[in-house]
Amino acid sequence: MDASMESLLETYLFETNSLLDGLDELLINAEKIGDFSEDDVNEIFRSMHTIKGSSAMLEFNGLMEIAHHIEDLFFYIRENGIDSLDQTHKSELFNLMFKSTDKLRSEIEKVENNEPLETNIDSFVGEINGLLKKISGESSDADDTTNSSSAETSADGTKSAAIPVSAGDVPYFIHIYFEDGCGMENLRAFMIVNALQERELNFTYYPDDIDSNPDSAEKIIEDGFYIGFHTEDELGKGCTVVSNAQNIRSYETVQNQEASAPEESEPTEKAASVEKNTASPAASAPAKGKSDAAPAKKKEVAPHGAVKQDLISVNLSKLDALMALVGEIVITESMVTSSPDLQGLNLDNFNKSARQLRKLTDDLQDIAMSLRMVSVSGVFQKMNRIVRDMKQNLNRDVRLTIIGENTEVDKTIVDGIGDPLMHIVRNAIDHGIEENVEDRIAAGKDPQGEVVLSATHTGSEVIISVSDDGRGMDTDAILAKAARNGILTKPESDYSQKEILMLLMTPGFSTNTEVTEYSGRGVGLDVVKKNVEAIGGVVTITSELGKGSCTTLKIPLTLAIADGMEISVGKSIFTVPISNIRQSFKATEEDIVLDPAGHEMIRCMDAFYPIVRAHELYNIPDACTKIDDGILMWVDASDKSYCLFVDKLIGEHQVVVKPLPPYLQQFHIKDSGISGCTILGDGNISIILDIAHVYEAARGIF
Amino acid sequence: MAETTVDIIETDEGQSSKSIQRFLTFVSDNITFGVSTDYVIEIISSYMICTLPMVPDYIKGIINLRGQTIPIIDIRLRMGKMPQDYTDATCIIILEIKDISVGIVVDSVTQVLDIDLDRISPIPTQNQQELTSSMISREDGSVILFLDCEELISQ
Repeated sequence: MDASMESLLETYLFETNSLLDGLDELLINAEKIGDFSEDDVNEIFRSMHTIKGSSAMLEFNGLMEIAHHIEDLFFYIRENGIDSLDQTHKSELFNLMFKSTDKLRSEIEKVENNEPLETNIDSFVGEINGLLKKISGESSDADDTTNSSSAETSADGTKSAAIPVSAGDVPYFIHIYFEDGCGMENLRAFMIVNALQERELNFTYYPDDIDSNPDSAEKIIEDGFYIGFHTEDELGKGCTVVSNAQNIRSYETVQNQEASAPEESEPTEKAASVEKNTASPAASAPAKGKSDAAPAKKKEVAPHGAVKQDLISVNLSKLDALMALVGEIVITESMVTSSPDLQGLNLDNFNKSARQLRKLTDDLQDIAMSLRMVSVSGVFQKMNRIVRDMKQNLNRDVRLTIIGENTEVDKTIVDGIGDPLMHIVRNAIDHGIEENVEDRIAAGKDPQGEVVLSATHTGSEVIISVSDDGRGMDTDAILAKAARNGILTKPESDYSQKEILMLLMTPGFSTNTEVTEYSGRGVGLDVVKKNVEAIGGVVTITSELGKGSCTTLKIPLTLAIADGMEISVGKSIFTVPISNIRQSFKATEEDIVLDPAGHEMIRCMDAFYPIVRAHELYNIPDACTKIDDGILMWVDASDKSYCLFVDKLIGEHQVVVKPLPPYLQQFHIKDSGISGCTILGDGNISIILDIAHVYEAARGIF
Repeated sequence: MAETTVDIIETDEGQSSKSIQRFLTFVSDNITFGVSTDYVIEIISSYMICTLPMVPDYIKGIINLRGQTIPIIDIRLRMGKMPQDYTDATCIIILEIKDISVGIVVDSVTQVLDIDLDRISPIPTQNQQELTSSMISREDGSVILFLDCEELISQ
């Protein structure tokens, strides 16, 4: 596959995926109302048409076939109006559409992963056709038969009328025959027409209903496809376009002697009037279909043009490279302006320029960061689909309310929260919402359960919460289950409500005794916790028995840049994320309390916290060993809270987080409490501590 | 590094240059090693190594090479030899092996040689050492051991 094909494929995947995402959203919304609006039908028709066309171009026949049949189905619906369907058909249609988008998506995934596509799609196509037959069979009455017969006559009429008309009007022609058996001739013709339109050529073509009438394919096979041009120049340009098109068996240029003489304005007028004539004898249905299609197509084109101007899609790796570069610039800038060579010099002009430079680099950094920010709506919309499926399969009446879906977060974080959110939403419905509506009514709640998915910004964090108004969590039952599973670490009576809820996130815990398709395999919340922690976030659960529960994810806005406190231990410099620091204070030997095992503890705010000596943990020579000489830093991360003993605080900085070199991963460096590193203004490296893992590492050596 | 020169080990006339490869030789613990120049990115002699806690002793730490962080392996310690204080001659060879960059600390770098691959022989199995897979003996009687780079990064 050459480079141009590669980029074509990339565009195809991007386009098809966005179309499918759009379709999903549309379907969810339509199903909520329980009906397709006329716009919806048109939109689905258009999307399928595009997918069909582009799949045919790349010769993904399975995809093309599916899209083609759905298009047929919606063509019928569009012709007859959605109201001709009764409720059962509509719900069948919804199910079929969800299935189809899933099918298409899975095929697209195969394309993405370079796997062979499914060739046997007959049963699926049969299903689509079955529904089409069902709905068309029931509504087929006299009206329908006249429709189809009139459509035929109109087709015949156009055929006989249009050839002479177009032949008489235009002096130059390209006459194209497609390869035998290449299929979808009308579409291939339409692709050529599209290509010509892109060149902004002025032309006419016959058959002219290729985009709306699938029967035109046969006409093209029989008579070939005609494209008419007014000037020789345009003919030449047209020929180059045609010669680049695929699956063409032969094409020839034809000159029409009679037509070259008459005036320009008259024939066009004539063409218009004749075309009107050919259309008018046809029954109202196809004409309506055509006129529907025309504005619909215009509608599609207009926003498309606008989108193309405003948005470009960029490879993420390029953005990453840009971010890395900007990070370097920020560091280099401070390296230059705080260069030791400049110390003691009084450089007014330099300082002025340096301030200007700093302002610019700050702006640059902000912009570069904002490039990676995407709204969480994509992930949230996917939850709609999950709720919809679960509603059907578990037979529970639940609605999903989404708040703040426009909240923007870093792209890597959006990618990272998809799976955890899915788990949580599934849990909320499967475990949270009452199984029987009667139970809800008895508890005085709305019979329809509600799951609220919300996202809000707070400073440097985004808070995503999933709350349900279900039965809440029974802490006694959780505790009993935990005891049964043997995951308790202290006597049952010592557990606080918060701690009990934390048990839910211990590996191997699931409150549902029955395993369902959606949850209850005991791999739920602990995986959620792990995934969220991997992107620097924290999960907390609150619950009130009988009233519902709420799972909250607190996630940093970005992973790339963090506020950090530089600390020194011996000669090493470490960075502790500011968000983990609660307080730093001096202490004396007398404040330290020892537990029976000899572990040091200190009292902060009426509670005792263990002390972790950084120099002991990391075996750093020449560090302060006396508590009086160093400083204690009270830190916390998720459920851990302790004091870290270090030599000195150096100062607060904004740091660009760099991952550690991949070679070092094999030494399990993450487990020793190091999450990454950053480059300091002087070019040295500072290690960024991962407060949660530092504690675990320290516990390991105690 | 100033003495780094190119010196061609004599090859038969008319032999295709396909089997000739360039090797950078360096000395560690009085043994001369060779590493294919395909892997070598650069040689640096001024560096500030940031030590990492809780890693094997042969991982000296990481350095900042123009914004890239590169782990540094002391080849002496990696081969189980005694550590030696770093001198002016000590330098770091930055290698890129299968997209992974690492730096190796060596006692000194000597030269770049064109070596005929056909003349490289495997190390007798009873003397098999970690990290070296083959050797060549030169006209002057000296021996070059070849560093197996892929083994260096695998674990």
